[in-house]
Amino acid sequence: MAGSTIDHLVSVTVFIGALLLFISLFNQSLQTAISYQQHRNLAAKCSDLLDGMLLTPGIPSDWGKSNCTPTGFGLQDPEFTQYKLSPFSLMRLMSSSGTPLYYDPTKSYYSNITMGFGNFLLVPYALAINYSTTAKLLGVNNTYGFQLTIKPVITVSITETHAANPLILNMEVVGTGFPLSNATVSWCFLKINEKGDQSSPSYTSFFSTTYTDEDGYASLTVDNVDLNDSYALIAYAHISGLIGIGYHERITGYKRYVIPLVDSFEDKRVLLAHSYDVHNQGPPESSVFYNATFVMLTEDFTLREMPMETATGKIVYGHGTQKTYQNLTIPTYNPGILIISYQSNNEYGFVLMPWGISSMAFPVVFGHDPFGQEWVATDMRQVIVNGIAYQATLALWSLEGYQVIG
Amino acid sequence: MMRTIEVLLVIIIITSAFIVSSFYAVLPQPRRISPLNLRRIALSTLQTLDVNYALSETVFKDISDSAWAQLQIAISACLPPNIVYNLTVYEVQSGGETELYRYINSFSNAADLGIQSDASSYLVASSNVTFHVTPEKIGAHGGGGTLYILNCSDANGWWITGYTAQSLAADLYNLLSPYFQATIMVQNTAQLRQIMDGNKISSLPQENVTNAVVINTFGECVPIPQVYCQGYERQNEGYYSGVAYPYTRYCYTLGQKTRINNWTWVSIVGYPLYYVSNTVVFANQQNDWGIYGMQKTYQGGINAFLQGLDNRNPFQYDETGITGNPGVVYLSPEAKYYCNYYGIYPSPYQTSTRALSTSILDYHLNVTLYVFNQVGNYIPGAVYLHVFQGDTKITGALLALGLTRTPDIRLTALGLLSYYKPRLYRSEYTASGTSRLVVLQLGQVGGI
Repeated sequence: MAGSTIDHLVSVTVFIGALLLFISLFNQSLQTAISYQQHRNLAAKCSDLLDGMLLTPGIPSDWGKSNCTPTGFGLQDPEFTQYKLSPFSLMRLMSSSGTPLYYDPTKSYYSNITMGFGNFLLVPYALAINYSTTAKLLGVNNTYGFQLTIKPVITVSITETHAANPLILNMEVVGTGFPLSNATVSWCFLKINEKGDQSSPSYTSFFSTTYTDEDGYASLTVDNVDLNDSYALIAYAHISGLIGIGYHERITGYKRYVIPLVDSFEDKRVLLAHSYDVHNQGPPESSVFYNATFVMLTEDFTLREMPMETATGKIVYGHGTQKTYQNLTIPTYNPGILIISYQSNNEYGFVLMPWGISSMAFPVVFGHDPFGQEWVATDMRQVIVNGIAYQATLALWSLEGYQVIG
Repeated sequence: MMRTIEVLLVIIIITSAFIVSSFYAVLPQPRRISPLNLRRIALSTLQTLDVNYALSETVFKDISDSAWAQLQIAISACLPPNIVYNLTVYEVQSGGETELYRYINSFSNAADLGIQSDASSYLVASSNVTFHVTPEKIGAHGGGGTLYILNCSDANGWWITGYTAQSLAADLYNLLSPYFQATIMVQNTAQLRQIMDGNKISSLPQENVTNAVVINTFGECVPIPQVYCQGYERQNEGYYSGVAYPYTRYCYTLGQKTRINNWTWVSIVGYPLYYVSNTVVFANQQNDWGIYGMQKTYQGGINAFLQGLDNRNPFQYDETGITGNPGVVYLSPEAKYYCNYYGIYPSPYQTSTRALSTSILDYHLNVTLYVFNQVGNYIPGAVYLHVFQGDTKITGALLALGLTRTPDIRLTALGLLSYYKPRLYRSEYTASGTSRLVVLQLGQVGGI
């Protein structure tokens, strides 16, 4: 009798112990499987969301060219189909890469995409589409976090290898995975014509073509450019449908210069601010004289100038209530580059601003940083922005947790 | 002891079950859990390479051409380093060929495409291919299908500055005749009288006066047959004595004929029916601007037309103005859509100075198509259907474009096509040697 009881006790104890052990083991397998399923679901969601952004123009379809807040989010160029994005819708995305800039005369903060000194794109917060609005429009608010990166496929890097006359510049052209060998590089060289103090500088330009070698390098020589001359170079590398853009400036006036600020997409208006008004706010400084031109890329990779009103003038800083910026109206919605040559105290320079993100192949980083998230799904597409090849990458993560701890 | 042995047996069974189930429940590799959508990347890569038709040009070149090497460089440059590819080009065969696709060329940057691959295909056409479009004929599946274009040699136009009615008629013929079963030029006012009487004016078997479209190319003026003029046999239907503009009565008759024959009457520009014209009868009368052969009907012309269309008896002379000047107006979304469908691209915004008021809807008119967006109480361009109250049958229609001169007849064509919506049957571009299929297969390498 006692042996039977002990037998029962031992067997029940062993059985319960084994049962708990197996439940734990099975639960672990199930939990892992569910987690995998959710990660796969996240990847599918990422792909769908990316296509949703890239294959619809949004509502209204031309929101990139207006000052309105869209009621439907999409980046497709409304005049095209497939993966062709609007260069203006991309301009209106609030950049998460650059440090925001505050400009006191307009009492506004500006979303900042600045690609080195002299290459500015500053869009007021009031016109930029922010992350939370976009998340709501996409229906992922509080459920998913994302970061959308749109960067050019072709990178054209330009460096000076000989600064004195003759000027020698070296170009490196690379894609995302391979150097662009035997590519044609069409370039435009802009050189300031120094006209002396109290006058707006003009510039002369000329065009030429060169080719990259097997490693994607090209070199060009420009005569009659001295060490003290200011210039800008814009280069277009192209091969078999792929087009990339690079630019380089040499300036002598780093202290006082012009900063262009987008003021209205609808009215195509840009403000030209004095650099001291933006960065220094110190005692009065010399005025900056400027000469603005708007150029568009033609099919043969030369630049065509479009006439603008009030293209020359001066920007005064630190004179009490005097107006501290100038207005400029871009003459068209065709993408192009606003080229501003400036002079202050006989120091010269160039400032470039893309009108349409693709004109200078500016990248866009929009959304939150995925760093530290438990699992991030990514997907990418090749896209075209006004003829320039870009890659769109979406990083997506869940904000709801997985809730599978058994 | 027996119980313990049984429990041990149970444990062995459960352990076996766990091991067996674990064996079958193989969790996928992480790359398969969160994969890149290689199919979409391949498609978007092909589209990127074909942005300026560079891909389309290259794949039709000889395989020894350097463009193929450039294409390979471009693909290598635009794909991330961990993605390998294989691009294959086939020629699309047709006709009596046994093979559907014939291999042309292929290149790759890897011996194999890793653990996972996917592909997209892209059809490109040779640049020397000619495509054909066959339009559906209006009226092919029902009544009507006849287009009458007023081309009367014995009338003058107004508000068509820079054109003549005859030149506009020729352009409209070229634009619209492919879409109609029969397109007939009404060469003089005598022929106009014939169709007003419901008689055919050609030997074409497809001609059908009923349900026809009548385009008045004379702008603000409308040709008037001699019989409707003062002193002729139908004077009572064209002339109303004792008022400032007696020929408004003719417009009433036109409205009646439009209703009876279920016409779609088209006014291409300006104030509809502002003058009547017959260069024989009114040889000595001019319109105050030096154009002879005209009599003014003024603002009462359209009012009379609408009365006739709505069968209001008796005719009431009314010269109240019913148009407005909304200024710049824009094509409606529907019209914009059909711009692309039919390949007709007028300027999307125009100036309207003679837009009809919404008050005309009281004549039992329904707007079935806005050519231009409505501005306040004015409709710059639209197709109106006349349907009597309590009825469903259409009894006449009016397309009126109240724009300023000079006329753009593409807008007239767009309005009519947007209303009738004839389908376009595009020819297939699978003729031998004219189409090639590009297949880009992508794979991922490295890692697991």
